[in-house]
Amino acid sequence: MSPTETASTAESAERPAGAPAPAGRRRVRTAARRVDAGSSRRPPLILLVPACVAALFALLPLGYLAVRALERGPGYAWDVVADERTLQLLGRSLGLTVVVVTACLILGISLAWLTVRTALPGARAWAVLATLPLAVPSYVAAFAWLAAAPETAGFTGAALALTLVSFPYVHLPVAAALRGIDPAQEEAARSLGHGPLRTFARVTLPQLRPAAAGGALLVALYVLSDFGAVSLMRYDTFTRAIHTSYRASFDRTPAAALSVVLVVLTVALVAGEARTRGRAGHARTGGGTARPAIPVPLGRWRIPALAWCTAVVAAAVAFPLGTLGYWLAVGTSATWDLGGLTEAASATLGVAAAGAALTTLLALPVGVIAARHRGRGARLLEQAAYAGHALPGITVALSLVFFAVRYAYPLYQQLPLLVCAYAVLFLPVAVAATRAAVLQAPPVLEDVARSLGRSPLRVLREVTVPLAAPGVAAGAALTFVVCMKELPATLLLRPTGMDTLATRLWTETGAGSFAAAAPYAAALILLAAVPSYLLGRSRT
Amino acid sequence: MRRPSARRITALLTAGLLLPALAACGSDKGGSADGGDSALVIYSGRNEKLVKPILDKLEKAVGSKVEVRYGDSAELAAQILEEGDRTKAGLFFSQDAGALGALSKEGMLAKLPQSSLDEVDPAYRGNAGDWVGLSGRVRVIAYNPDKVAEEKVPDSVHDVVKPEWKGKVGFAPTNASFQTFVTGMRVLEGDDATREWLKGLKANGTTYANNLATLDAVEAGEVELGLVNHYYWYERVAEKGADKVNAKLHFLPGKDPGALINVAGVGILKDSGQTETAQKAVDYLLSKEAQTYFADTTKEYPLAAGVTSSVEGLPAFDSLQSPDIDLGKLESLQETLAMLQEVGLV
Amino acid sequence: MNDLHIEQLTKSYGPEAPVLQGLDLSVPGGSLAAVLGPSGCGKTTLLRIVAGFLRADAGTVTVGGRTLAGPGVHLAPERRRIGIVPQEGALFPHLSVARNVAFGLTGLDRGERRRRMEEMLDLVGLAGYGERMPHELSGGQQQRIALARALAPRPALVLLDEPFNALDSALRTGVRADVRAALRATGATALLVTHDQQEALSTADLVAVVRQGQIAQCDTPQDLYRRPADPWVAGFVGDAVLLQGTVGNSGSTATTPLGTVALAARPTDGHTGTVVLRPEQLRLTDADTAGAVRGTVTDVCFYGHDAKVTVSVQGLDATVDVRVAGPLSVGPGEETGIHVTGEATLHA
Repeated sequence: MSPTETASTAESAERPAGAPAPAGRRRVRTAARRVDAGSSRRPPLILLVPACVAALFALLPLGYLAVRALERGPGYAWDVVADERTLQLLGRSLGLTVVVVTACLILGISLAWLTVRTALPGARAWAVLATLPLAVPSYVAAFAWLAAAPETAGFTGAALALTLVSFPYVHLPVAAALRGIDPAQEEAARSLGHGPLRTFARVTLPQLRPAAAGGALLVALYVLSDFGAVSLMRYDTFTRAIHTSYRASFDRTPAAALSVVLVVLTVALVAGEARTRGRAGHARTGGGTARPAIPVPLGRWRIPALAWCTAVVAAAVAFPLGTLGYWLAVGTSATWDLGGLTEAASATLGVAAAGAALTTLLALPVGVIAARHRGRGARLLEQAAYAGHALPGITVALSLVFFAVRYAYPLYQQLPLLVCAYAVLFLPVAVAATRAAVLQAPPVLEDVARSLGRSPLRVLREVTVPLAAPGVAAGAALTFVVCMKELPATLLLRPTGMDTLATRLWTETGAGSFAAAAPYAAALILLAAVPSYLLGRSRT
Repeated sequence: MRRPSARRITALLTAGLLLPALAACGSDKGGSADGGDSALVIYSGRNEKLVKPILDKLEKAVGSKVEVRYGDSAELAAQILEEGDRTKAGLFFSQDAGALGALSKEGMLAKLPQSSLDEVDPAYRGNAGDWVGLSGRVRVIAYNPDKVAEEKVPDSVHDVVKPEWKGKVGFAPTNASFQTFVTGMRVLEGDDATREWLKGLKANGTTYANNLATLDAVEAGEVELGLVNHYYWYERVAEKGADKVNAKLHFLPGKDPGALINVAGVGILKDSGQTETAQKAVDYLLSKEAQTYFADTTKEYPLAAGVTSSVEGLPAFDSLQSPDIDLGKLESLQETLAMLQEVGLV
Repeated sequence: MNDLHIEQLTKSYGPEAPVLQGLDLSVPGGSLAAVLGPSGCGKTTLLRIVAGFLRADAGTVTVGGRTLAGPGVHLAPERRRIGIVPQEGALFPHLSVARNVAFGLTGLDRGERRRRMEEMLDLVGLAGYGERMPHELSGGQQQRIALARALAPRPALVLLDEPFNALDSALRTGVRADVRAALRATGATALLVTHDQQEALSTADLVAVVRQGQIAQCDTPQDLYRRPADPWVAGFVGDAVLLQGTVGNSGSTATTPLGTVALAARPTDGHTGTVVLRPEQLRLTDADTAGAVRGTVTDVCFYGHDAKVTVSVQGLDATVDVRVAGPLSVGPGEETGIHVTGEATLHA
């Protein structure tokens, strides 16, 4: 080769003539990345309009909070918020959130790795079992732990109950992400001298970060908004301050001012989560599917791994079900009101299905935009969908009372309004699932469809949605489960006389009849277990 | 490839979601309570298990359709406040006086006819004459006779904070009745005294989730004394039989703050357009039939004049030596909660 | 005819130097033009602007006289009648081959759609594959179906975005030929974006070399190779031997360290410059042949159909490469003579 005179390879040709090589190369790369991002800056109106409708929907509670919080002027609201006690409660809430999120990450990631990547005996069954805790309402878990171990009351119990019901939020997306990672990368790392643990930490874990962060965000917002478990466990958090404000003084202004703090916190958390996405790559456009990974043999870790899975599933699923069984067996108030049970069950299925359908529908444009477009507007839309997610159900419910009574009176205390409340409450759950599903579908397919004469709407209908359908359906199933368990908004907004399993459960436990409550709790868990089971299975 | 199976699951889920949704929308049997003159809508903060039978009878008595919306008293009050003059509720049936007081303060309740008010002792109705108490419950001390002799049981809540009861007292600080009682103590004896008392109680006592759990703890001998409402014990006796219940009740003498009586009551929403029917409902709830129901079923004290409880072993209502206090003043629990938080009890 | 005209196309993604800087390109209807350039030169941006996925900052794009993009005009991709064949085909994984190919056939009745679909499958040599799913096809088959899908709606223009990249080299030649034949058969104008100069030279009727957002040269493959516009283009489209040269008095020859060489064109200005020769223009002769320049073989690289012999020549700082067809008569360390044939280009 003649290094100076013969310009023969593409490598040297990459340098633009006359430009110094390093600078030239940097410029080249920047441009290449920009092509990716710039192509999809402005979402088409056909997506933008419904997405804005969904966002406005999700922002309704914030409008209400603004009205109520400022009723007596910003000074009053500030005094409520700036109170020392408020800040203390905020600290307690955040402490609980950090602990629960950390624990969920440990449980979710470890179970996902064990079930997806190792030769764990019965891995598929464990994957399904690890999804079932979704079906357990936090208040039932808390009840069970209180009954069995009253000494857990307080921080420990609250953290325990919340972790055990919400770790599937991390487990599900992480397991899906693990399946998507090309095992060749891990093999390359192993061949470069990294042990399995180092490989996991250096190669696998960083790629799981977006999935884990998305799940962690949902867990964090869930913990912040939860009232059932913390009130039963008598651990005072920010939500309890809000409830106390309604209960003790019948005053909605301080409650609203406090709720605004939760909204601010949510926005910060959502922004933080968006940062973890960073420049993480979009979908693999490659047509070649990744080779299935060869399961990692567990060797002498087999028994500890099995013990770990057993312990988690036992604590999260078997234990609450067992407690219900115990109540049924020993209680005197047990009455098998089969008619009432069936009626409540079918009502629950009906509203939860309608709630999941509406939520998924509203989440679709937001999720697609969040996946396909990067500008500030797209980010704002997604954040708007999340904004109210940390608010306690009672606050969201009261905001819908406020708006419905003023602007949609015929809908008030009718099913459609309850269904709307579910959509407001759970929009982020469906948005997260939709976004992840759309990211999996290569964008080039949409380009091809456009070039073949399809309008953006038809591309959405004929290409994007069918490709993302399994993921969107998984999101719908998840939404379905959380709608079934919802209590505070259901109590306030249900049509007069309608009962769901959750409200029956509330009635029975309110009267102190745990044995009578057990069938409703059991029915709720078993019914919610069906979609949870499908969720666990569809990803395996 | 797993595409076909994924598609099947999608189809299954879609069908599973849509069918019940359609069914739910189709069979909108939730009942349209469009106010009006025919139907009476009751927002009940009292548990359905407790009051459904008597409200079913009420429907016949008032001669028009009755729809009941159950919820938490405070949350229902907040809901009514949010609904304002477009409220669907004709009648608000509250677990305690505080929620009624809050609505009264906002001027949302209609003045009741004197005939209804006269049925109830002025101590157990709203000052503005816009709500009445229906049934009363009294704070008592439950004790375990195996652990403590009857004559040793304190006659005042002030005694339970004394050193000799250290580790022997059970109570439920998150319970609304307990908090109302503390509010009463604050009104009667001032904030400083109450705060000191709470500190003493915290030092001496064990906290439980609710009154029932407290009573169970007394029954099991976990604690010797329990601060509870009277009717839990009578319900327990009715359920298991007097000989199977170990714990006993001590009614405090001498207008002790620990003997506070709180009431469940009703008020009529003035803007609901249902005032006429609601008035009939109030009359029925004050009738002998309804009052006897409360006495027999919930073991509470009937508050209407001329009705007495026939529950065995229940001291006569006029023999109770409860403190003189304006229940309307117990409407705000805010400071009480602040104090409980400050002391570290909730 | 469906001529493609691109004028003064400009595009930048922010404050940095624009990716396209007034690019001009004309492709006659029915021909296949390759857009060749190193990565980052702007060829992907060009393709996405023509397809309508990106908006240019300035400039116009017309196809068959119809303005697709220009001042105040930006036709949506679906209204441009431009087919695209992306890298790795990008078939819709949820649709059968038949439905993939028929995807763009709207406004036709069932029978017509079916006929056209089958015609297209036939064209790409995959008749009878309609009921298969994309994942049941090999990479080459997927690529041919992608072409069939793009051609089915009779687009005015087809854009091929490095379509042969994912194929292994044995398969590539075959698919390339098939694609070329299919494009010829339909008479569609086509733009092939690639960074592989061999692919561009062997497949296209016309090759446009893009450098820093502008067309450095657009010519037939032969002319591009024989008469590169400058040494950079010369090096980019093939191996080149660059020599310092001085123009002779006649203006039709130049004196170089390898002797006097004929020039393809008279230089317009200057008397010295870089003379560009192709390695196959150099011939090895006996060391003592008259008129030959002497050198020493330093390395031999044998390819089968030919070989590359590296020779160090006195008076030259670097070595020169010589392509030798047929049996090799020299080995490393031996003396050889070098003789220049054909015409060279000189660049001031």
